[in-house]
Amino acid sequence: MVFSSLTFLYFFLPVVLIVYMAASKKLKNLILLIAGLIFYAWGEPVYIWVMIASSLVDYAAGLYMSKSDKQSSRRLALVISMVVDLGFLFVFKYSGFVVNVINTCFKTSITEPDLPLPIGISFYTFQSMSYTIDIYLKKVKVQKNFINYLTYVSLFPQLVAGPIVRYDEVAEEIDDRKINADNVGEGAGLFIKGLAKKVLLANNIGMLWTQIKAMDYSELSVLSAWLGILAFTFQIYFDFSGYSDMARGLGKIFGFNFPVNFDHPYQSKSISEFWRRWHITLGSWFRTYVYIPLGGNRNGKAKTYRNLAIVWLLTGFWHGASFNFILWGAFYGILIIIERLGFSKVLEKLPAAVSTAYTFFMVVLGWVLFDVDSMTDVIHYLKAMFAGNVLCDSLALYQLGSYAVMFILCIFASTDCWSKITEKISAKKPLQGVYSISVPVVQLLLLLLSTCYLVDATYNPFLYFRF
Amino acid sequence: MKNIQKRITTIIFFITLLILPLITLFSKKEDFSSLENRQLQKRPEFSLDDWFDKSFMKDFENYVSDHFIGRPKWIEAKIGTELATGKHEVNGIYITEERLIEKIPDPEYDVMDRSVDAINQLSASVNTPVFVMLAPTSAGIYSELIPKNAPQLDQHAIIEYVYSGLASGVSSIDVYDILNASKEDYIYYRTDHHWTSLGAYMAYSAAISKLGFTSIPYSKYDVEHASGEFLGTYYSKTLYNKIDPDTIDIYSIKDGSNVTSCTVNNGLEETVYDSIYFRDFLGTKDKYSIYLGTNQPYLNIKTNLQSDKKILIFKDSYANCFIPFLTQHYSEITVLDMRYINNFREYANPEDYTHILFLYNATTFSSDENIRKIAY
Repeated sequence: MVFSSLTFLYFFLPVVLIVYMAASKKLKNLILLIAGLIFYAWGEPVYIWVMIASSLVDYAAGLYMSKSDKQSSRRLALVISMVVDLGFLFVFKYSGFVVNVINTCFKTSITEPDLPLPIGISFYTFQSMSYTIDIYLKKVKVQKNFINYLTYVSLFPQLVAGPIVRYDEVAEEIDDRKINADNVGEGAGLFIKGLAKKVLLANNIGMLWTQIKAMDYSELSVLSAWLGILAFTFQIYFDFSGYSDMARGLGKIFGFNFPVNFDHPYQSKSISEFWRRWHITLGSWFRTYVYIPLGGNRNGKAKTYRNLAIVWLLTGFWHGASFNFILWGAFYGILIIIERLGFSKVLEKLPAAVSTAYTFFMVVLGWVLFDVDSMTDVIHYLKAMFAGNVLCDSLALYQLGSYAVMFILCIFASTDCWSKITEKISAKKPLQGVYSISVPVVQLLLLLLSTCYLVDATYNPFLYFRF
Repeated sequence: MKNIQKRITTIIFFITLLILPLITLFSKKEDFSSLENRQLQKRPEFSLDDWFDKSFMKDFENYVSDHFIGRPKWIEAKIGTELATGKHEVNGIYITEERLIEKIPDPEYDVMDRSVDAINQLSASVNTPVFVMLAPTSAGIYSELIPKNAPQLDQHAIIEYVYSGLASGVSSIDVYDILNASKEDYIYYRTDHHWTSLGAYMAYSAAISKLGFTSIPYSKYDVEHASGEFLGTYYSKTLYNKIDPDTIDIYSIKDGSNVTSCTVNNGLEETVYDSIYFRDFLGTKDKYSIYLGTNQPYLNIKTNLQSDKKILIFKDSYANCFIPFLTQHYSEITVLDMRYINNFREYANPEDYTHILFLYNATTFSSDENIRKIAY
């Protein structure tokens, strides 16, 4: 199930909310667990066993490690749980790609395993691993109740698309949490904000990218090529951060505090800063469980760069099993190493507008690697952007005219202008009253407008159109 | 103050999430949407098989959205928003102030070539003279209304392309010019993809002399406004309600010939009617079907005209409001729709006819892969 569907919003969620709010404190985790399993099985009725199996292994490993004092057997338990977790991830996500590479390199013809990618496997695997690793390092207390543990893994607000919540961040709330009216109100507001980002901004601007991506790149004008990739730039941001906002909002309604995942990344002044603001929980996971264990930046420059390279290749590969993503990760690895080598000092001295423009430009280039299908197409697309045959044609002008308002809204919504303005307004006494009335009104409008788009998404007139 | 704001948000959020599903739950469920012209999803029955192959989930989601309370109103509100943000296009339809205009897909030249070949082959194999008449759609005539810079196709060029491929024994009938010259008149529906009876009459007046008759002057006809509330397929695609509904007209002639029978074969059985107008459709959304009814494989019209002239027509629905004008010239008209027929000779022998006419609009002709079946 996805949050941005009528079934979730007007069927699943109201039922879960009523049952959850009415249930006694003891039953609340069980209800969340059942809701999470239904939510997950709705999209993944078969491979739900993968999630349950890896949770069971991690739960058992955790239990064992907490009881055993012998370092070697604790390590063995950790290794087993990680092999299982990463094994599932490898088999489902990467085996096809690896077999393909082997076949190409060695001219073999091993059949590619044709497995579907279970929804959210990249997210829940990382979440579940954070638990066993932290137990091994004795950073968190063991979870003795399997229901509570599976509730954590299958917590539906962030199950399929993050944020990646480390176990230690919600350990206390899993066992004991308070639901108060303020948090519910804040959560509802956050959810509506996320829904609007996804349905009103991401989906709409995404339609332009869908159109342009499907065109013949050799016929693309420079303007169209730029409009297309800028449309994707905003689509992926509002899609992903909208989903994270919805997750955090739902979390708050249920009494959890999930970490922030996005912090206006497109106004970053350097690539390093961009990654401190973009998909924050993924970056922090790799820092905690890969970069620092490898030694981080404490073992001299050469090792630091090696560690950075490893982290960025893995980050790229985490996004998907293809050369595009590896290259995309490498692209960021190189940019960040360049900044470490001293370019960050240059960026600091430059006017803010220039360093922001540099960062945004690089990020946009990165999205070409990320979303254009094959490497040959990437080259053709870059060619259209920088050396297109025409600067601008009538189609580009039509696209610009049709999406200009959308672009302006997206630019505005991706910076912190809005929160700065509201902060100033709400600080002034006479305006406070107006503000506290107008915020819910805007939220209601956004909720209803998003509903319009959700209903229309399924509007499907069947006409004998050519007849 | 901030707390009050959060309380209001909570109340608004929960009320919306409860009220809309509850009204939906207790509202009357229709089985069929005339607006979308399709069966709506029935409530799915749960079974494990359907659960594991996800068809239960799909049906359930369709059920929720098909019966969501006030469905058309939500969609109308969405379209209003789209237009306000500078878009002019909804579901492949351009919205202009006067009318709705279709965004024509690129013509498929290989499809057209094969149809043209088939027509040439048919013409070579029979003694009956063959005529081809392609009508532009409103997008071809009113191209200047299409939003600035929007992609558009030259329908005149498509028609010329087809005509230039016809063998010397096949005659083309040009109706583009006369329609283009009459564009100030009500020759195309504003909310539907068809031409009006007046548009069909204009084409008739140009075509009939090619077929060897004298056209009947407009002044001889009585025009009856059968309905003034026609909202056509373009409307259904967009649900844009700021365009005036269309008028359905019936042209009749007092001292002319009369239809004696109209035989319809739907592929399974034959039914004989005494009129070519099916007025029952005026009470439905699909009002254009008043002309010859819905599209059928085979239709045979007999008139009381004392003449041995008979015509065989291969067509799309543009012919449906055109054919009534031919009843003043032929004693028998056979109408075949190749989309429902594989071997047309089961229905008609081309040698029995005085004329064979292919009547299509330019967009159907440039994509329909059934026309070629006439050569099989």
